[in-house]
Amino acid sequence: MTEKKTKIKGNMIQRRLIPSYIFLSIVAFFSVFPLYWMITAATNTTVDVARGKIWFGTYAAENFKNLVANTNLWRSMGNSFLYAIVQTLLCLFVCSLAGYGFELYHDKGKDILFAILLMAMMIPGVATMIPLFTMMSKVHLLDTVWGFVLPAISTPFMIMMFRQNSRNFPPDIMEAARIDGLSELSIFFRMYMPVMKSTYAAAAVITFMNAWNSYLWPRVVLRKNEAQTMPILIANLANGYTVDYGMLMMGVLFSTMPTIIIFFVLQKQFAEGITGAVK
Amino acid sequence: MGGTQLKKSGMSVGAKQKAAGWGFLIVASAMIVVFSFWPMVSALITSFKTGSAANMKWADPVVFNYTRMFKDKVFMTSVGNTFLYLIIQVPIMLIVAILLAQLLNNKDLKLRGFFRTCIFLPCAVSLVSYSLIFRSLFATQGLINTILMNLHLINENINWLGQTGTARFVIILALVWRWTGYNMVFYLAGLQNIEYSVYEAAKIDGANGWKTFWHVTVPLLRPVIIMTFIMSINGTLQLFDESVNLTSGGPAGTTMTMSHYIYNNAFGTGVANFGYASAMSFFVFIIVAILAVINLKVGDTRD
Amino acid sequence: MKKKVVSVLLVAAMGAFTLAGCGGTAAAGGAADAGATAATEAAAPAADANAGGEEEAAPTADVASEGEHELSVYAWDANFNIPALEAAAEAYKAVDPDFTLNIVTQSGSSDVEQAVTLAASAGDYSTLPDIVLFQDHYIQKFVADYPDAWQDLEGANINWDDFGAEKLSYSTIGGKHYGAPVDNGTAVFAYRTDILEECGYTIDDVTGITWERWLEIAKDVKDKTGMALLSMDHSGDDLPYMFMQAEGKSQWKDNTTPDLVGNETFKKIIEVIVQGAQDGTIILANSWSDYTDQTIVGDQVAGVMNGNWIIPTIEQVDANSGKWALTTLPTLDGGKEGYAANGGSSLYITANCTKPDLAKDFLAYTFGGGEGSMETYDNALKNGGVITTCISAGKSGVYQEGVDYFGGQAIYADIVANGANVPVVQQSDFHYNMRTLVGNAITNIINGANIDDEIASAQEQLEFEIAGSQN
Repeated sequence: MTEKKTKIKGNMIQRRLIPSYIFLSIVAFFSVFPLYWMITAATNTTVDVARGKIWFGTYAAENFKNLVANTNLWRSMGNSFLYAIVQTLLCLFVCSLAGYGFELYHDKGKDILFAILLMAMMIPGVATMIPLFTMMSKVHLLDTVWGFVLPAISTPFMIMMFRQNSRNFPPDIMEAARIDGLSELSIFFRMYMPVMKSTYAAAAVITFMNAWNSYLWPRVVLRKNEAQTMPILIANLANGYTVDYGMLMMGVLFSTMPTIIIFFVLQKQFAEGITGAVK
Repeated sequence: MGGTQLKKSGMSVGAKQKAAGWGFLIVASAMIVVFSFWPMVSALITSFKTGSAANMKWADPVVFNYTRMFKDKVFMTSVGNTFLYLIIQVPIMLIVAILLAQLLNNKDLKLRGFFRTCIFLPCAVSLVSYSLIFRSLFATQGLINTILMNLHLINENINWLGQTGTARFVIILALVWRWTGYNMVFYLAGLQNIEYSVYEAAKIDGANGWKTFWHVTVPLLRPVIIMTFIMSINGTLQLFDESVNLTSGGPAGTTMTMSHYIYNNAFGTGVANFGYASAMSFFVFIIVAILAVINLKVGDTRD
Repeated sequence: MKKKVVSVLLVAAMGAFTLAGCGGTAAAGGAADAGATAATEAAAPAADANAGGEEEAAPTADVASEGEHELSVYAWDANFNIPALEAAAEAYKAVDPDFTLNIVTQSGSSDVEQAVTLAASAGDYSTLPDIVLFQDHYIQKFVADYPDAWQDLEGANINWDDFGAEKLSYSTIGGKHYGAPVDNGTAVFAYRTDILEECGYTIDDVTGITWERWLEIAKDVKDKTGMALLSMDHSGDDLPYMFMQAEGKSQWKDNTTPDLVGNETFKKIIEVIVQGAQDGTIILANSWSDYTDQTIVGDQVAGVMNGNWIIPTIEQVDANSGKWALTTLPTLDGGKEGYAANGGSSLYITANCTKPDLAKDFLAYTFGGGEGSMETYDNALKNGGVITTCISAGKSGVYQEGVDYFGGQAIYADIVANGANVPVVQQSDFHYNMRTLVGNAITNIINGANIDDEIASAQEQLEFEIAGSQN
């Protein structure tokens, strides 16, 4: 009896949700459609891509072969992974430490400092690119992983994210740990880091995506073929008098997959981490 | 044990904690100073100079680059374009994002994870890639026109990127496509932090869906809304990739953004006018800073 | 599972940081190792990358780490310039079997310009490669602005009379030769002969005619077949420049004085373009990809006019093989053929080159008309469609062969011959500023703005931009 009742009630709820389903399906369709098109394009010839063919073709193997033959695909993938992973790890560590410091030891001075640091994200990158290049060139860090990551390790946005999230970290834990004799740094490592892992996951997804997709700065700081990243590889393919679009879209597909996979793997923690950030 | 440590370091507990607090943020702060503020100071100095890279000299008068930008019709057009995007795109995007988050926050809804993933996916695509995709879709003989023709919604192909109105529309659409899911995730997270009992209470008080949303959800989401607003304002005012890759600023410069024009002056047309580019960058900086301060003042509910 | 991923990330983060904390050279190695475990593929580049950072005397590994017989070069376009450079490197092996050319691919000419600009602003040219491929329209300004960045080609064994005068006019600065010409930008006007025939015309009917007549024919073709007779990437519209050059005229009085207002030839040419656009006979595409893929590959046009490097794009459509033919441009007054050039680049030796003798010898032997030039240019043509401006290399057998795609026409020989007729016109460092503003003016005129007002406002903005960068 009650079971039947809940079932009927469930059906009614579902019926009332039909407009939501329709709306969400439409939005989901529009969100995914360009990605679908990217995948089909990677399986078509350049002429078919140019003419807007909408279905899958049979040219995927050929496009892939061309891509491998004409570009440094694996090297670029490897570089992109290396740079993105190094940047993500260092950024997470440095910014979480700062966010922790700003929130859990917060006082007037630190709040003012934080407001000042926020200004760093308000200037167009073009303006700071030249002085940064000069700096990297002077200390001989061009073409190195350090030249790529150093300017992007400490970002106001990531500090802000960890600062907001740290509001969820109960100060009682810190007090208890202090009584147990843990040093301030050990509290961070042994208490804070494990508790905040979903924040780390969210920050990792965002930082990895930013590092993986960054274009203007690597174009300036990485000047050798051997140091090239995926976005640069794609830009090199996309510019020229004659462009092979099938091959290009195969490249785009390769450069997009890793970020999508990372997002899928860390999806749940990502959502939780963001939840903490906005509390 | 804590006592012995205390004796060794010779500091009081409070002082030690204070030192540790500063110690935690010193690395990050130092890096921002070195890799952001120092270049900014350097750019500020450059903004008072003219000439090309290797042989720059002080401008005469010193504020030459700053007064010049207000007489530059192309720059003023780009300011107008950027604000147009800001005024239209940011509200649409944030409203749609809140709406989606609200729908997805319903516990009775099935396939929530699926919908959430689909809607978030666009921001995993790199800017270079998504501009390429959109440009192909909205080409004169591209897929969008083909579909509209087959549905008999239009009689002849629309030159989407060749007319001011439609080109701006495509840019706004592309921005909404890429960033709505991103903002939605923040709202969704914010909504999940709101206790269910709050809604129950509202229901008992006889509030309908819309009233609940407006009087309960929105006020509770205020910090998140402020945060996404600042991020979106900052992102939109520094908009670059879409203008460069989707429309090249055309037709006739009517979709060009401030950052795009700044880039053109520094690198784009071989002119290498770094002084002028830096001066315009500080114009952007000042506008973003003013808007952000207004937002933060409205939004900081903690103190 | 997911928990594991996160904890691995965290452990790795701490590991990387601890190692980085050791300072000095160990830091670089440490983090590279940490990264390498996550991405095996990356281990090699990481080690390389660090080498640049650690060696005291090595600013970048580009030049410093290279051997006696190695040169590095920045170039762009994997389907065009890069095969030409590869052909040259191969040819030079006859002289120096150990020779290697390290070609660093850039996404476009602007990347090379940016590299020079950045090096100049850092006051350190050691970040540059030995040789750069550089766009013809910009080199004058870059040599004038950064004289220390370049080494001239005086003393190289190159017979300069063997090259087209128009091409050399770009790379000769202050009476000195700086660049070794690579490609030939001579404009071609290609027509679909089958479409012309369908409408009752032959290729001769569109050769040596006036623009007025061309517009009539184009209208006719449009009415009968629905196809346009010309298209152009309007985001970088080269039509005004090429049309003017075919008249032997310029949009410039001198390097910094635009000549738009009161320039009757210019006004007439703009009117031709606007008329064509309004008739639908000239398609002004929104972007490069729109131009090539939609209008040319997408079969929207029965005519293509641009630098001859556009030929490989035309040839992408197998179905149209044998249906195209090449000729020259119409002119305002007719009765003669119009010759123009567009695009093109040359190779320049930078100040950072420590082996100028090797570089000069390489350039002279290959692109400069030396013994290896025949081999270089033949392979450059076969692999990249790069056509030479070197008159003697153009006499090679490969150039005389008929091309099936163009109905057996010996197009390469024709192009080299036409190249010698391209008039030298006044150039300017602000070529691209002009191009953008004139393009904008055309857009506005098509949309109903007054032609004289638009020309005046383009000139005004141009003068404003020139004044600003000269203050």
